[in-house]
Amino acid sequence: MAAWIGTAVRIGLAIVWAWAGLAKISDPQAAAQAVRVYRILPETLVKPFGYGLPFLELAVALLLLVGLGTRIAAIVSGLLLLVYIASIASVWARGISIDCGCFGGGGAVAASQTQYWQEILRDCGFLLLSGWLILRPKTRLSLDGWLAA
Amino acid sequence: MSTKNEVGKRSARERMQEERAREEAAARKKRQLAVIVTTLVVIAAAVVIGIVVQNGRSSSYSAATDAPGGTVGNTRLLIPVGGTAAPSTVTIYEDPRCPACEQFETAMKTTINQLLAQGKIQIQYHIASFIDRHDSGKGSKNAANALACAQNVGRFHDYHDVLYANQPQETDDAWADRSILISLAKQVPGLDSPSFEACVNNNTYGSWVTAVQSDFDKSGYNSTPTVLLNGTPAYPTYNSKDISPANFTTWVDNANKGKPLATMPSASAEALASPTAHNNPPASGAASAGHS
Repeated sequence: MAAWIGTAVRIGLAIVWAWAGLAKISDPQAAAQAVRVYRILPETLVKPFGYGLPFLELAVALLLLVGLGTRIAAIVSGLLLLVYIASIASVWARGISIDCGCFGGGGAVAASQTQYWQEILRDCGFLLLSGWLILRPKTRLSLDGWLAA
Repeated sequence: MSTKNEVGKRSARERMQEERAREEAAARKKRQLAVIVTTLVVIAAAVVIGIVVQNGRSSSYSAATDAPGGTVGNTRLLIPVGGTAAPSTVTIYEDPRCPACEQFETAMKTTINQLLAQGKIQIQYHIASFIDRHDSGKGSKNAANALACAQNVGRFHDYHDVLYANQPQETDDAWADRSILISLAKQVPGLDSPSFEACVNNNTYGSWVTAVQSDFDKSGYNSTPTVLLNGTPAYPTYNSKDISPANFTTWVDNANKGKPLATMPSASAEALASPTAHNNPPASGAASAGHS
């Protein structure tokens, strides 16, 4: 039973990461700006992160979808979410008004349109799912299971 | 003797079993290692490929070949309007689809055109196009390119005024359809032509539009309109006073105290000073009729 719940968690997280990644690849310039407005990274790192992060998300999605290296993929997923939560919290604390750009978009918004609470809570939910897979990486319908058989 | 043999057999079997278990454990470890390596390779490859591909997709911009005529600045990203000798410089960042820009234009256009005509100010426009990002639209970029096409034939400011006077709702990406931009160009005497239409339809200044937006992204200003009077923000307030036609004129006059004004060709000045006309010399009556 737990293995089947794991499968559902795995596929669910895969869909979230695939959605997040795909939404950010059509406009590289917008993806870079979404990173820039956090005012955390120096300008030289803005583009590598803006360009690379969506593909990291897609790789995690792919690995979770097929269930290959589930524990590692879940660890990467969890680390990414921790970084995202910390970044949003930092922006919030510094009084900057942005859209987190979590699922595409991003950039500055009016102060009344920030949604930091919702964004952080949502990411915490995904973090819990990642935690489940880190603790119980054995799931049904996975390449891991098929290779171990 | 026989017991010795028994012991020898058992230990041999045990040894074989132990051997097999060791081999299986080693094979399992090998498989696990292969999975770990594969996983890390997939992740690393995705990131590297992603960075390379997205780098390749970001358009390269060359100021020498990609900027419309008459643009200024280090990399020719700015569109200048007005006499370059005018003592005050107004810097305006605007997105063609931005509703606040439309409100700014509607309220301030007449005043700004009069100040231009009097040689009190020159304007440097930065045509941003980030509103398209929110709904993967095309209207801002299409309009910015069309404005560059107009700039290239010296009709930027008139066309700029026409676009703001006919701006669609922000949620309506009407200018994704370039033919609407072309039909609006017919309101500017002398603008519409086969080469202008080709310029609009072929997105001729696309890489320039991207470069202007990229410059805005890095500017630290994060909304439009951003209006600067001699480098100091003047919208929505200037030294904590609200912008208005009268206030703006006062601010400019105060900034210009004791400085000579620029002179403009009288025909352009006359056209600018008229509140209903666009700032180009009056052309044929038929072409300019039908809008104000």
